[in-house]
Amino acid sequence: MLKLYDYELSGNCYKVRLLLSFLAIPYEQEMIDFYPGKQHKSPEFRQINPLGQLPVIDDNGLVLRDAQALLVYLASKYDESGKWYPRDNPDLLGQISQWLAFADAITGTASAARLHDALFYAHIDVVKARAAAHELFRTLDEHLFFAEEGGQDWICPGDHPTIADIACFPYIILSEEGGIARIDYPAIRRWCDRFKRIPGFVVMSGVFPAGPAADDRAKVAVPGQ
Amino acid sequence: MMSDLQSNWYPIASSSDLPRRHVYQTQLLGREFAVWRADDGYVNVWENRCLHRGVRLSIGINNGTDLKCQYHGWRYANRTAGCTYIPAHPADAPARTICNNTYPAQEAHGLVWAGETAVGAVPELPGFEDATVLRAIPLNAPMDLAARMLLGYSWEDGCKGQANADGSVTVTAADGTAVRVFLQPMDSNHSVMRGLINRPASGKERAALLRRHSWLMQELRDRIESRAAAQDAPAPYQPVIAKVSDDLVDIPALGAAALRAELRVQVARRELTAEGIVSLRLEPVTGKLPTFQPGAHIDVHLPNGQVRQYSITNGPGETGHYTIGVKREPDGRGGSIAIHDTVQEGDVLAISAPRNNFPLRRDSTHTIFVAGGIGVTPLISMARAMNAQGLSFEFHYFVQSDDHVAFRQHLGEFERALVIHKGLSPDATGATLKEVLAEPGFARHVYICGPGRMLEAARDIAAAQGWTDETVHFEYFANTVEVDDSTAFEIDLARSALTLQVPAGKTILEVLRDNGIDIPSSCEQGACGTCRCGVIKGDVIHQDVCLTNAEKAEGKSIITCVSRAASERLILDI
Amino acid sequence: MSTSKCDDQVTLDHWYAIAPIAEIEGAGIQQTTLLEQPIAYARNSARDVVVWTHEGVPGDVPDRNCLPVRERYGYVWTTLGAPEHDVFPIPEYAEADRRNIHAATFGVNVSAPRVIENFLDMGHFPFVHTDILGAEPHTEVKEYFVEVSEDPDEIVASNCKFWQPMAAAASTGGADVDYIYRVPHPYCSVLYKSSPLDESRKDVIAIFVQPLSQEQVRAHMLLSLLDDTNNDTDIRLFQQTIFGQDKPILENQYPKRLPLDPRAETPIRADKSAIAYRRWLSEKGITYGVIPSAA
Repeated sequence: MLKLYDYELSGNCYKVRLLLSFLAIPYEQEMIDFYPGKQHKSPEFRQINPLGQLPVIDDNGLVLRDAQALLVYLASKYDESGKWYPRDNPDLLGQISQWLAFADAITGTASAARLHDALFYAHIDVVKARAAAHELFRTLDEHLFFAEEGGQDWICPGDHPTIADIACFPYIILSEEGGIARIDYPAIRRWCDRFKRIPGFVVMSGVFPAGPAADDRAKVAVPGQ
Repeated sequence: MMSDLQSNWYPIASSSDLPRRHVYQTQLLGREFAVWRADDGYVNVWENRCLHRGVRLSIGINNGTDLKCQYHGWRYANRTAGCTYIPAHPADAPARTICNNTYPAQEAHGLVWAGETAVGAVPELPGFEDATVLRAIPLNAPMDLAARMLLGYSWEDGCKGQANADGSVTVTAADGTAVRVFLQPMDSNHSVMRGLINRPASGKERAALLRRHSWLMQELRDRIESRAAAQDAPAPYQPVIAKVSDDLVDIPALGAAALRAELRVQVARRELTAEGIVSLRLEPVTGKLPTFQPGAHIDVHLPNGQVRQYSITNGPGETGHYTIGVKREPDGRGGSIAIHDTVQEGDVLAISAPRNNFPLRRDSTHTIFVAGGIGVTPLISMARAMNAQGLSFEFHYFVQSDDHVAFRQHLGEFERALVIHKGLSPDATGATLKEVLAEPGFARHVYICGPGRMLEAARDIAAAQGWTDETVHFEYFANTVEVDDSTAFEIDLARSALTLQVPAGKTILEVLRDNGIDIPSSCEQGACGTCRCGVIKGDVIHQDVCLTNAEKAEGKSIITCVSRAASERLILDI
Repeated sequence: MSTSKCDDQVTLDHWYAIAPIAEIEGAGIQQTTLLEQPIAYARNSARDVVVWTHEGVPGDVPDRNCLPVRERYGYVWTTLGAPEHDVFPIPEYAEADRRNIHAATFGVNVSAPRVIENFLDMGHFPFVHTDILGAEPHTEVKEYFVEVSEDPDEIVASNCKFWQPMAAAASTGGADVDYIYRVPHPYCSVLYKSSPLDESRKDVIAIFVQPLSQEQVRAHMLLSLLDDTNNDTDIRLFQQTIFGQDKPILENQYPKRLPLDPRAETPIRADKSAIAYRRWLSEKGITYGVIPSAA
């Protein structure tokens, strides 16, 4: 069975748990005492991932690390619908890759600020990390605003979310733990609601579920429109 | 100056920022708002703070009709912002005054407008009747600085900016195209530019237009922000948090009513069973429900603090739930409206154990059920019991129209025993009742439940046609008698050897309770009969509708919540 | 928010847990903040734990102790004032068959009393710790007792019962769980809950809040359990999951400081212990991390 080396409070591990849940793939968890045990830096764990980072999967002997790489692998291998990572659509693959890199930048800023505030990563310049995260959020908010204008719900075009949405979601929804408010990003906040309503969505500690969607799928009930 | 700012209308959102089942978060003059559109389209602008423990409501859940706080599940109603449910105390009603702070709001020109103390109409925008709302651009700068620099906003050569009296800026191009930008002061150093362009746009043109102005305004934003960063940031606004009312300071005492509502049930299913009638399937939160008998009712403690009686409609053997039917009574005292508007699937309600003041005899050779409107509920339970036992009965159901037939599926079980009488006038109803009640006889019984007038008519007709009091069973929803409580008298409690004074304005039941004698009660208005008690001596002024005429004449029973002594003294069997 | 250091003498005159002792071993000089005062801690050459104040640069390990130090319950405790009593007792910690585990030290952007009040609260279990410490429709907070004693000076809430689907890492199913809460310190609380393994004894969960500033804290969490089946990692991760669920609630409370004015928020019977706590803080004259009631 597929094994995930996991830590509940890690947004990067959460990305993998989300996709596994969306695809209903059974897996076993190997819980790593990331904090305070620093088990991911132990010699034993470095045999599994020399970088000493989570998440890692072991899929019948194939050991892979890096959240974004795991999303690509798992979607390519296990998503029969081909919608989460459409292998035959170069335009879409290009866009997904672009947003996967963007998700990495969110990790480097919003996740860093969270580690600073919650786990006292003293070497992080939190002011700079927050400012850089806000720059990214401004970009994404504008992108999602125009996606909605064009009748699109997700980061990449199409009627189905992709792994780009999964890669961006965790550290956006957790950004307030790093002192990064989302009050200025209404399109991001709406996208977060939509994301939480994807069938198979699971929460992690620190993330609340959304309420049910309206029966009527009309996006906006504006009088007179 | 602060008060001037607070009395203005400001746009705080685009209409499109408020899709259904979403909670939008914003700020005005330092005060955070949770803004949400109910399923009926109404836009609620509330302080972003649950009154209980200060948690932001913008992380809560918009259920379409209410907003649920994420911390303790408190629910606040659409429009009124009144708290409708506190899950930690399902037997208690929230104090009526627990009401969130709401702010004036209007939706106009594709924008949602609000103000702390704004009154009157939002600004008229001549020339912008068919405008397109541009993408809003938040920025870290004071509103006034942004307004000044917006004068230089330009999308082509020849654009001219002009400051308006309301603080907005209009920029006009040579061809008459105009953009009007309002500033929303989130805080002293944090604002939003909300623009309108004076022409409608759709399709690709709209997308291009919005993109172009989003781009240009973001460029302007960057320039304003670098200017703002070079100057001292003004002190943040200090919004005053309103205090809750004095009566909410003390922890409410555990009410006597709550103590009698010993059961906790969850609304497992809520369905519209007929025009204006919902059925609620109530399942136990833990354990089993007590046994009910056909005809029994339960007290339901409602989220608005009222206690109401509803008959159980269950058939025999249906012991895992109680299903009740509730008709919406727009002119009623609010109980049915509370159920229709606020009770949802998943809610926990406090209820009493079932009580039966309308028992069903099963030693009859034939039984006639006469139901009017929502009065059908106890009779359904009775007829289902008789049906299961193969006893002979007929079921007459008087309704306004086909749409008003409730619990159709159960009625279907009665097959040929069922007659539905639709849309009859009072006279025609009387004529029909005469036929239905034409044949009194040995071991024949009639059970009537329905609106007061119909019930009285049926009882009169039955009596006139020879049905004895003992064979006519009935249950009123409400007392039809005007109760007079102006007399004062004395009661002797035979078994407790106590003498108590009942003054004008108090009921026997209240006096008993004040003296620590707790007798069961339910409707407390002379309709249900739960508080009935035996009379050993003395004359009674009966003011109830539950005792039969024969019982009243006999004078051996009294309904203690309404009836009084005709003599100076009553000796009660308590 | 405020840049001035703490001038609340009542708050200064208490002991504060500042770090798990295990964190000091071989780690050199570590830094943290207590009541806006930068402090450093380390083991000196004599292997004693020393804690000292500094103004930005901790310098070398001083030879002698600069601030009073206690080692209790696996944590280093210190004070910037002159506490009247020693660190409050938790007798269970010394019982031989208990597992004493440091679950985590988490930073939270909220005032210390908000953390304590949340720790005392049961009504949020079904909504915040869904399917772990509570589950709808079992939302009722039943009547419980609250006592404020003078000697020792603490609040005790007892006879607390709440239905829980999975009360501890060692639980196998739902049960009505008994709780007793102690508040022996303005920013510390100790919880006793029925052990899934031994009916006669209780698991202990303690939270020691170290205020960094009026609106930022470090919360240290100690577990003293009778669990003999789960490993330390499982137990820790369970507790971290619970705390991680509380964190966004705490960080979304406004105002961040606890308002002591009875008219600032709306209590219900379930909040009896919180009411007693707010009153207790008021009577002590605490001003740090709270909005004092206007007299």
